[in-house]
Amino acid sequence: MSKILQVKDLELSFHTFAGEVKAIRGVNFDLNKGETLAIVGESGSGKSVTTKSIMRLLPESSSEFKNGEILFDGKDLTKLPEREMQKIRGKDISMIFQDPMTSLNPTMTIGKQIMEPILKHQKVSKAKARKVAIELLNMVGIPNAENRYKMYPHQFSGGQRQRIVIATALACNPQILIADEPTTALDVTIQAQILELMKDIQKKIDTSIIFITHDLGVVANVADRVAVMYGGMIVEIGTVDEIFYNPQHPYTWGLLSSMPSMDVNEEKLYAIPGTPPDLLNPPKGDAFALRSEYALKIDMEQPPPFFRVSDTHYAATWLLHPQAPQVEPPSGIIERMRTFPGSRYYEATGGRA
Amino acid sequence: MSDVLLEVKNLKQYFNEGKPSEVRAIDDISFSINRGETFGLVGESGCGKSTTGRTIIRLYDATDGEVLFNGINVQDKKSKAGNKDFNRKMQMIFQDPYASLNPRMKVMDIIAEGIDNNGLAKSKKERKEKVISLLETVGLNREHAERYPHEFSGGQRQRIGIARALAVDPEFIIADEPISALDVSIQAQVVNLLKDLQEERGLTYLFIAHDLSMVKYISDRIGVMYFGKLVEMAPADELYRNPMHAYTKSLLSAIPLPDPIYERSRVRTPYNPKDHNYGSDEHVEFREIAPEHFVLCSDKEFEEMKKNHVPKES
Amino acid sequence: MKKDIEKLPQDQFERIEIDSSHAERIEKPSLSFWQDAWLRLRKNKAAIVSMVVLVLLVIMALVGPHLNGHDGAAQNLRHANLPPKMPGIEKLGIMDGVGNLSGEKVDLYAMKKVDEYYWFGTDGLGRDLFTRLWEGTQISLLIAFVAALIDLVIGVLYGGISGYFGGRTDDVMQRIVEILIGIPTLIVVILMIMVMEPGIGAIIIAISITGWIGMSRIVRAQILKYKNQEFVLAARTLGTNDSRIIGKHLMPNVLGIIVINTMFTIPNAIFFEAFLSFIGIGLQPPAASLGTLINDGFKVMEFQPYVLLFPCIVISVLMIAFNLIGDGLRDALDPKMKD
Repeated sequence: MSKILQVKDLELSFHTFAGEVKAIRGVNFDLNKGETLAIVGESGSGKSVTTKSIMRLLPESSSEFKNGEILFDGKDLTKLPEREMQKIRGKDISMIFQDPMTSLNPTMTIGKQIMEPILKHQKVSKAKARKVAIELLNMVGIPNAENRYKMYPHQFSGGQRQRIVIATALACNPQILIADEPTTALDVTIQAQILELMKDIQKKIDTSIIFITHDLGVVANVADRVAVMYGGMIVEIGTVDEIFYNPQHPYTWGLLSSMPSMDVNEEKLYAIPGTPPDLLNPPKGDAFALRSEYALKIDMEQPPPFFRVSDTHYAATWLLHPQAPQVEPPSGIIERMRTFPGSRYYEATGGRA
Repeated sequence: MSDVLLEVKNLKQYFNEGKPSEVRAIDDISFSINRGETFGLVGESGCGKSTTGRTIIRLYDATDGEVLFNGINVQDKKSKAGNKDFNRKMQMIFQDPYASLNPRMKVMDIIAEGIDNNGLAKSKKERKEKVISLLETVGLNREHAERYPHEFSGGQRQRIGIARALAVDPEFIIADEPISALDVSIQAQVVNLLKDLQEERGLTYLFIAHDLSMVKYISDRIGVMYFGKLVEMAPADELYRNPMHAYTKSLLSAIPLPDPIYERSRVRTPYNPKDHNYGSDEHVEFREIAPEHFVLCSDKEFEEMKKNHVPKES
Repeated sequence: MKKDIEKLPQDQFERIEIDSSHAERIEKPSLSFWQDAWLRLRKNKAAIVSMVVLVLLVIMALVGPHLNGHDGAAQNLRHANLPPKMPGIEKLGIMDGVGNLSGEKVDLYAMKKVDEYYWFGTDGLGRDLFTRLWEGTQISLLIAFVAALIDLVIGVLYGGISGYFGGRTDDVMQRIVEILIGIPTLIVVILMIMVMEPGIGAIIIAISITGWIGMSRIVRAQILKYKNQEFVLAARTLGTNDSRIIGKHLMPNVLGIIVINTMFTIPNAIFFEAFLSFIGIGLQPPAASLGTLINDGFKVMEFQPYVLLFPCIVISVLMIAFNLIGDGLRDALDPKMKD
């Protein structure tokens, strides 16, 4: 597998009138060709900021790269001049936003909007661009594309608009597609359609996707690998099975346990107490320790490094240190671990019911 | 016979009635909620579920139909004293934790609003004590009373909204998508809080949401709405195990679960209202296909559903 | 990612009990909206400088006329058309009483044997311009403040009622506004002044007769925006009555916009008054306002530019200061700028 994007030790701050907000505090991850990497976390965890910094969409006046690099195609995107960046945006890396209502220009026909990146980045005639645009609309499942191509965004429903946004993002066959909560504003049935569409397209054009969401159901559906973010850092990263069936970080435990299961009737949901940390004054040690029932003394003093669980699975928690005490995860998590070969609760005989 | 607290009879809410732009937000729905239970109302955006909640609490005047609360029709015009009493008994929790608290008021005054309106506190001291005890009920503390809403996180704000509703000691709370705008880890906090409060105070909830998994967890019975109509209503487990209406099936099959192995095999069944293919002579109405399980269907579908229904294993 | 696992003291790995209520604590000091806005406004240097300048101008408008002992209304033809002369500064070669007399530079004070100092010179009737300037500023500011206050009261009431009650009330009220706005303001004003005795009162009424429309529209739009917000719905479900909803929920939220808008109304009123006086239908002599002073100065611009210069400087500084404060307030009060 080839690495298409590498984010190394990324640190980024916002300067606000209240002080310096350390929105990203050392993020490392690689994106492989053709895979979908989901970044999960709650609002304020830095997941959106991370991807916006890859696209360099943050306001230059108030945001500042403190450290680290974002390597794409041999270039460090944090240091690229704006002019160069414009060549990459929409061509090599493109982005889908959360709200399909506001991410299309209401005064431009959808055909024009799809053609715009094609005409900007590729040397093709208008007629050719129009043909590509219609093909794209067909591909994302807009029926009768030849005629509807001349319509304005308000003539489409929310789900269709998100399809059009996706078509625009795909116009130049990007190598990386960043989807920032693309289905959060949609209904479940529409969400399901959009997720299916994105998976289909990925198969067809072999693009890599970074998928940001806070919905673990969606993650389980689309992701190959998952990065869990908390307090401006990645706390656990691994393949989708490793994260869902052998999670190691207490925050991942909390996230997975706080979703009700459809089959079982639990008496009480597991709830993570408290609120996310204030990144204006980030905590000294493990950012999650203040909300964790598994906190260790060292969590208060020193942030945990990444511990290796497997070659693809890393977690930043002191619980994985050889000297740490053995703790028992919440019962729902043990249930999950039972099905995962290699976890300490794995039951060879039991397997999955 | 259980004790019915709220009964909605043939409720209709049309906007721009009679004009070409008429919208039938609620189109003849009926259901009842028993004392102490949680009734979940699910559906897609624009299906009329929020309008239903707001019509019940009289933020809108209904076009037609009755809402009986404790046997009294709340849509009737009543004396002012009656209104005050009604406002105390029925309360609402809103969706958007950022828009539902007045940004210019201190938390103390936000929560005390109902206390002031109804003269529930005799002195300033009593008012303060009441607010602090409400804050503690929802897991906050006295330090928070002197702060402004913008200083709180989404989950904390939602809990302040709950405390505000509780201040007047209601019997019935309409929770209008109270967790949709919250992060997953915070949703559980709020849902647990609502459940605890129900146990302690014997509250009755109308829980409106589009997220079926949370609704299933919190509700005793669930109603599914589609374009202003109630298409299916059943106890939560029953609805999940035995979805009968094609729309309910499609809705259930579309929910992604946090389980990658299940997700790889999940098949979605799309819903198309044309598939019913109702003839002009067919009578489509709300029928009981199993005890407590109602479906909007025609005669023909009714027979078929009865056959397909899998009774609860004992 | 791969760090060598170092040996750490074992006691570091003891489990600790976390009191989850700590996670609810808010570290930031509690700030009300207005305190917050003040902090932001304080960072805006232009607005703060403008505020200081404005305060100085207001003080000068109040005490200026009494500073140099001249009476602004006293005419003294012997002292007519004197250029500025100020003690101290005269040594620098400016404001030294030297003026043009048929193309030659002459010390007019010496020529006319005037011993007094006229700091900003005198006009054709020998009135002290310094005194008149501050009297004029005083009157201009008075007219502007009163007009803005009337705009504010009528605009907020009208817009508030129209927006809050909506429906037919709103329809009727908005039609009236549309008719009013359809009549050219200047015609209304000229008619008003013809009917009424010219003077401060007439000008104030003339300025406010249509001036409140802008405010009413802004307030109406804001009320429309807020009245369906969930916090207002919540108040209604709690049985809060209309007057409390307006007073406690809507007005505090609209207040920011009202303040900003007033900050832009004041300079407009100053300018409008000056304009009316300049075209001769405003204040009548001998009363002075910035407009009449500029009008006087305009007539002798070529020979005695100082007559025009000082009122122009004052009116410009006033306009800029009010606008900069308005901009600063907008940045400070607009919740969209919130970080």
